[in-house]
Amino acid sequence: MQQSLFIKSVLVVDPANKKQEVMDVRIKDGLIAGCGANLKAEDGDCQIDGKNLWLTPGFVDIHTHLRDLGQSDKEDIQTGTKSAAAGGYTKVLAMANTDPPIDSAPILTLLLKKIEEQACVKVYPVATVTKGMSGEELTPMVDLARMGVQAFSDDGMPVSNLGVLRRAFEHAKLAGRTIISHAEDHDLTAGGCMHEGPQATALGLPGIPYASEAACVAREIEVVRQTGGTLHFGHISTAISVDLIAQAKKQGLKVTADTTPHHLTLSADDIKEYDTSFKMNPPLRTEADQKALVEALVNGTLDAIATDHAPHTKMEKSLPFDKAPFGVIGLETALPLTLEKLVKTKRLTPLQFISLFTDKPSTIIGISPYILKPGEQADLALIDPELSWQYDASKGMSKSCNSPFHLRNMTGKVLLTIAQGKVAYQDELNLSSRISGKLQTATK
Amino acid sequence: MPHSNQTTRVEDILSKHLDGRKCWQARRHLLDTKDLTNAEIDCAMALASEFKKFRSQHLPPMDVLSGKTIANVFYENSTRTRSSFELAAKSLGATVLNFDVGSSSVSKGETILDTARTLASMDIDCIVQRHSSSGSCHQLAQQLGDQLHFVNAGDGWNGHPTQGLLDAFTMLEVLGSLKGAKVSIVGDITHSRVARSNIWLLQKLGAEVHVAGPTTLIPAGLDKLGVKVHYELEPAIKNADFIMALRLQLERQKQGLLASIGEYKKLYRIDHKCLSLAKPNVKVMHPGPLNRGIEITSDLADDPNLSLIETQVKNGVAIRMAVFYLLLNGN
Repeated sequence: MQQSLFIKSVLVVDPANKKQEVMDVRIKDGLIAGCGANLKAEDGDCQIDGKNLWLTPGFVDIHTHLRDLGQSDKEDIQTGTKSAAAGGYTKVLAMANTDPPIDSAPILTLLLKKIEEQACVKVYPVATVTKGMSGEELTPMVDLARMGVQAFSDDGMPVSNLGVLRRAFEHAKLAGRTIISHAEDHDLTAGGCMHEGPQATALGLPGIPYASEAACVAREIEVVRQTGGTLHFGHISTAISVDLIAQAKKQGLKVTADTTPHHLTLSADDIKEYDTSFKMNPPLRTEADQKALVEALVNGTLDAIATDHAPHTKMEKSLPFDKAPFGVIGLETALPLTLEKLVKTKRLTPLQFISLFTDKPSTIIGISPYILKPGEQADLALIDPELSWQYDASKGMSKSCNSPFHLRNMTGKVLLTIAQGKVAYQDELNLSSRISGKLQTATK
Repeated sequence: MPHSNQTTRVEDILSKHLDGRKCWQARRHLLDTKDLTNAEIDCAMALASEFKKFRSQHLPPMDVLSGKTIANVFYENSTRTRSSFELAAKSLGATVLNFDVGSSSVSKGETILDTARTLASMDIDCIVQRHSSSGSCHQLAQQLGDQLHFVNAGDGWNGHPTQGLLDAFTMLEVLGSLKGAKVSIVGDITHSRVARSNIWLLQKLGAEVHVAGPTTLIPAGLDKLGVKVHYELEPAIKNADFIMALRLQLERQKQGLLASIGEYKKLYRIDHKCLSLAKPNVKVMHPGPLNRGIEITSDLADDPNLSLIETQVKNGVAIRMAVFYLLLNGN
């Protein structure tokens, strides 16, 4: 960022620093030039009135499907990272189940080149655990980690052979990386497309039972116990899984877990008749599960919120419910949805809440948590926690619009995202009354 | 005008069901029995009664739907149901197009939405669709509902509303009212759209719906939807007014949902003997086609005093005439 920016009287919410206080923040040449009480703006500073706004470290999404390579009709690096920036994210983990999947050095090289050319936020590639996500032969984890892979996951096609999983944990340890588990037993899912229960029965749709997730969580915990490995469970959806994870943590096993904004805010009762924008995997469960997930975030059993942003084209999502692909987009709605659920209800303080998006997910995947202090590269989100707005999925930055929250009224919005020292997103309309001067959004 | 009397009688009946007719006039599609009002159901039943008489007289077709074109689009084979819809449409003077799915571009990967759009472009008025995906007809109605009427002739496991209506009509012919009547549906409930359409409709008409079947073939949470669930036949058919046996898809055995056909027969086959538990004037029904000797004994299926199976088929045409008339005449 060539220009300099002065944000006056903003509530800095900085979890890694355990700091939540109103101050002025000055950013110059992409670096934090100063932060504290009663700083002076300098000539030429673009000024923002930060009153009643939050300034936080840029969010970290440890579960994003950017779709590039090979599926760029759904999303690509450019649109996906723009969508991330619009949601306050400055770091995303790009899931590996692309076409072809990220399972070898040459394919990773292709992806890294695209990221270099097109990404407006930091993208950490994920590689698959097994070649071709076949669940059989392991990928060269150490090599891939050295080239920049930050985590390993066969998301979407869980490793069902526990012998393979055991070796994967052992190799991941050698590579110094975490495995992200998509906990699902495909035989128990057996073609199901929404949560098993009266709602699925009433719609005549095959159900996905609790055990599909929970049985897989249970057996993978046992492999962690055996190997002393580390494992992160992505998108946990059921109260039973939460209990299993709580127990494993109590026993000192190195497991962590996240859940998604949609699992925290919707249940199977909310599914509009055959509306495929409510179809995702794991499915929306019951209200009791939803409550258990909130509780688990409050008591620390769940460590982070991740979006599982999963774009699909209109054509794919216009197929009948049982044939349409699983997944919903979520980068641009994660903050307002969870803010309403967790902070407006006073379950979490802003500091605890922002932690679920910043230092905690960073720690899970082994990135040092960002601390907001002079000399650091600016990597920040400026948030209006009170702004009321209506989300229109078709007007978002993502290429796809498969969101169950289309046209929902939201409270809380990201106004400005600075990623790696550059303006990656600004909401010009809602900044206009607070800003003097003009900010240039970086072009990529 | 050979049918001026007929048309007058139809209008006469409708004038006695003004509320129901109004609801039907506001409705463009028949997708489910779930959202039918009791006024709509009564109105359709009264009209079907009249159409049943008309059919029995072997008269030339009426002309009330002349100028209308109805397309049967069946992605799953069903000669029986398709023929019933075709007869119903033709008896009202509509033109019928039987869209041949097997040899069309559908087999080249065209989506159901594109097929429906193609038919809409040919100025078709109504699509009667059967498809293996639950909700497929609902989705089409949402996309193209302002251009076309849709009648769901079966969507996956979800619904088969004209079957539900014809079954209720058949029961009403016997009992007059279904308030407090006990109806037992026996067999594979999980995969049955007939069961679902019947359950929602019979509940509206005040019947007490029981089901019986193997644990593997009763869907989760059905008891929470107002249905009494049994895993044994006896409590289900005790004091029943109607017993409906469902067709058993024989491939369920391969999917591990049935230990053996022999075991199923021992536990759930409806025969003369088990009827002694039911009400003395109990009637037996089946949506067809029959697996004789598996879900129902051949003797019972053919017993003119106990079986309503042939009546159901006859009533199917009359109910479908009523549905076409109510959706397409004057709309």
